[in-house]
Amino acid sequence: MQIDFEHRHAAHCENGVVRNLLNFYGIKLSEPMVLGLGSGIFFSHMPFYKMHGMALTSFRPFPGTIFTRVTKALGIDIQWHKFKNPDKSMDKLDEILFQRIPVGLRVGAYNLSYFPKEYRFHFNAHNLCVIGKEGDEYIISDPVGMNKHRLSSADLKKVRFAWGTSPPKGRMYYIKSLDNYRPLDEEMIDKATRKTCSDMLHIPFPMFGAQGIAYLARRMRKWEKLYGKRGAALNLAQVIRMLEEIGTGGAGFRFMYAAFLQEASEFLNRPLWNNLSMELSETGDLWRDFSYHAARFFKKREGEIGSYDDLAHKLEVISEREIDIFTRLEKSIKRE
Amino acid sequence: MKVNEVPQDNAFLQEETEICLRDRYYALDEEGKFREVPSVGWKPKNAAIQFAWNNREEEADKIREQVVQGKLSPLAYHMERLLMTPAILSKYAGLSRRKIVRYCKPKYFSKIKPEELSCLAVALNINVEELISID
Repeated sequence: MQIDFEHRHAAHCENGVVRNLLNFYGIKLSEPMVLGLGSGIFFSHMPFYKMHGMALTSFRPFPGTIFTRVTKALGIDIQWHKFKNPDKSMDKLDEILFQRIPVGLRVGAYNLSYFPKEYRFHFNAHNLCVIGKEGDEYIISDPVGMNKHRLSSADLKKVRFAWGTSPPKGRMYYIKSLDNYRPLDEEMIDKATRKTCSDMLHIPFPMFGAQGIAYLARRMRKWEKLYGKRGAALNLAQVIRMLEEIGTGGAGFRFMYAAFLQEASEFLNRPLWNNLSMELSETGDLWRDFSYHAARFFKKREGEIGSYDDLAHKLEVISEREIDIFTRLEKSIKRE
Repeated sequence: MKVNEVPQDNAFLQEETEICLRDRYYALDEEGKFREVPSVGWKPKNAAIQFAWNNREEEADKIREQVVQGKLSPLAYHMERLLMTPAILSKYAGLSRRKIVRYCKPKYFSKIKPEELSCLAVALNINVEELISID
């Protein structure tokens, strides 16, 4: 049994799953639009929340929020399930799947057999979509792959019950009904963008939002003292991986969000947003410049590399510019 | 980033796999519009991943030395090599964390029950022979 489901490659796994699911129900949205409606751009650096023993730096909100926000905005009824028992989770998956409903799953990357060895670390926020079952094999549509793929039920069970930081616990989600569906309009985009700006600007802790980038810069200046040379470089590697690892569309979603602003500016006929889009794209280039310089820390022996102060300074510049961009974006909505 | 600046530096992805994993960049074309461009990777990112793995291997080698000296058990070596921590492995294997920490010492590892050994091997995706050796 295989559902007639159009598999499309996407930059980010969650956006991709959401877009492909909506597309299955005849709702055509682009990936940047999904990101925009889901307020999927964010920044946080949390030294108290560890992954692989290092502070977690994240460029996105908590996994699952994009799907919830997008469907809520469009008035689509959805269903989430979470399980304690792996066998029950597979039974439930079959039950829904055989009603010919594609199901989104949150999985861990550690045991995901088709990932190259280098990508398989304890990262538990990967998303994929199950679209069919043949014998003991599930047909899956993973948006980071160009093609569909198959996974045996034992493998799927393993990745659904991965362990580590924020375990997925067999989470699955699907669209229940479109009875209250509203097509995309100006109000939705404004509301989602206001939410994005609020997340980026007004969380009253230093480690979240655009100010969080400056917070990371301040931490970075202390890294060598705190963790030693090697530890500091490892922390830096972790940041770069989060920034560029499969699924951000480059520079931690900055380019993708810029693409959203451009699309929205055409849709709503707001030329200002196109200008903001270009500026955000420039900060994306600054992020890439940061990664480029950071990469030197991983190659050369001591003495030839720059200092963490230089890198931290780059981040401070980015932080300032992003604060400026999102402030203007927020104002542009309030005025109208 | 311009469309023609999208990096194509492959390091880890195999060309011939069926699923064909790719990154996807949003880059500007000449008219200032965003276009989607698939990519196979970017050097700085690959360097970060490689650095993290090299470091892991060096750590594992250090632990291997200690196994040879009889200070730690092979389990400690395989855990380090396969990115496992006692907390995560205890969840996968269904043994308590305390037990796993104990089995990292040769004294306790030599007395491990066969069932527990196979549990650990399954959780680490290796077979029992591999788990009890350090080759």
